[in-house]
Amino acid sequence: MNQARAERVIDGRSMEPPEPFVHTMEALDTIKPGQKVLLIVGREPIPLYRALELNGFSWQTERLPDGSVEVLIWHRKS
Amino acid sequence: MQALLSYDQSPPLGAPLRFFLTAPLFGILAGLLLLWSGPEALAARWTPAALALTHLITAGFMLQVMLGALMQILPVLLGANMANPMRVASVVHAEITLGALFLVAAFLSFSPWLFKLAALFSGLGVACFVGSAALALHGIASTNPTTQGLKLALLGLSVTLVLGMLLAVSLGWSLNLPLMLLADIHLGWGFVAWGVVLLAAVGYVVVPMFQLTPAYPGWFARYFSFSALAVLVLWTIAEFNQWVFVSAMLGTALVALVVLFAGVTLSIQRRSKRPRFDATQHLWQFAMLSALAACAVWLAARTFPLFDGWTGWPVLCGVLLLFGGFMSVIVGMLYKIVPFLVWLHLQNLGQGRVMAPNMKKIIAEREMNRQMLAHFASCALLLLAVWWPLWFVYPAGLALLVASGGLLRNLLSALSVHREHRLKIESLICADDLPLT
Repeated sequence: MNQARAERVIDGRSMEPPEPFVHTMEALDTIKPGQKVLLIVGREPIPLYRALELNGFSWQTERLPDGSVEVLIWHRKS
Repeated sequence: MQALLSYDQSPPLGAPLRFFLTAPLFGILAGLLLLWSGPEALAARWTPAALALTHLITAGFMLQVMLGALMQILPVLLGANMANPMRVASVVHAEITLGALFLVAAFLSFSPWLFKLAALFSGLGVACFVGSAALALHGIASTNPTTQGLKLALLGLSVTLVLGMLLAVSLGWSLNLPLMLLADIHLGWGFVAWGVVLLAAVGYVVVPMFQLTPAYPGWFARYFSFSALAVLVLWTIAEFNQWVFVSAMLGTALVALVVLFAGVTLSIQRRSKRPRFDATQHLWQFAMLSALAACAVWLAARTFPLFDGWTGWPVLCGVLLLFGGFMSVIVGMLYKIVPFLVWLHLQNLGQGRVMAPNMKKIIAEREMNRQMLAHFASCALLLLAVWWPLWFVYPAGLALLVASGGLLRNLLSALSVHREHRLKIESLICADDLPLT
């Protein structure tokens, strides 16, 4: 269960693009190294991955039985 | 936070936007044609004005938006990057625009050389697009229904184009080809294999994403495009061989598939998480109901000989499908795609230091709703004009002019938000000598 491992959880399943992206980036602005943000969305957020890569984050994606996708994000260690 | 989105997966804004901004101009021309030709445009399926009106919408309005949207969708959704997207967009846009204009002029004048020019430019434009798309799609596995559907839709576009060119060439050189038969098959491929299959393939992604609905059922998404193509091929064979009964059965099966698509879309729309429908959802709903009405008219004509004898039924079907169906759904999609693209490009230009404006403010909701009502009014007046052409064709033309002008104004307002914001970014970022991406 990823929710217990994240400081901030964003449920983007009832949000219209680009709101899940905007909220995730805002949340990532507030976390410290070692903390995590969890995004839950209806489908795999491919464009977000490139943004995370460009901005120095690592992530782990997990597909849920109902078809939703959980993306756990944290600061990449330099 | 830089908050950069990927540029390498998205073509420059000008690539899809030139198609989107040209489409309403064809809607305006269609309104002017109705005002100029009067009742002739809706008198029967084969009048020069009716053929010109049909192709202003299909080869003009619809083709522009469909190819423009594919320029964006292929790289972003499928990772199929076109080589030189701006050059492809410029060439294809110029060729299909000229091709559609020559075709409309050819129908109105029946001048052979205009048919030849229409075939040449439309053929070059679509061939250039399909060729570039095929190269981009080479090596992309058809692992999901959207990829499968988009590949089949491009095949559908190619067959539609070849049949259309054959018809134009035959009129240009006075060849002795079975024009009515070819025109029916051209229409079948254009409507089902290109139009509906493309709409379904894109819908699998954009309906749940922008309308907050559940996904299309797995069985439907997996089998719809293939079933439609398979039935269409069999129907084409039956038509060529003049197997009247088999052709009628397969035609009914094709219509049933369209009913299924509209029904499934309406069903998932009813389960949207959005408390109040926005313009896009209203336009999609109107489109699906119009498609169902068109299918009912087609089935009624096939079932009741008295109704089949009425020359107005194919025109009624055409108005429901083209204006009520495809035009509505396309306007609805433009109201999501264009603000999203403007937002995406501004987000990247701002380099995380200047935030892009709220996507919902890029085109004012009030203006979208007003234009939507004008569009619905134009559809209602066009339907009335099928029965009472003398009374309603001029108000219908005027309403179409207003609705298409409103669409153009709304899209230009998004462009002006982009320009204003870009200037703001340039003044803030260039002052610090940071390069714009």
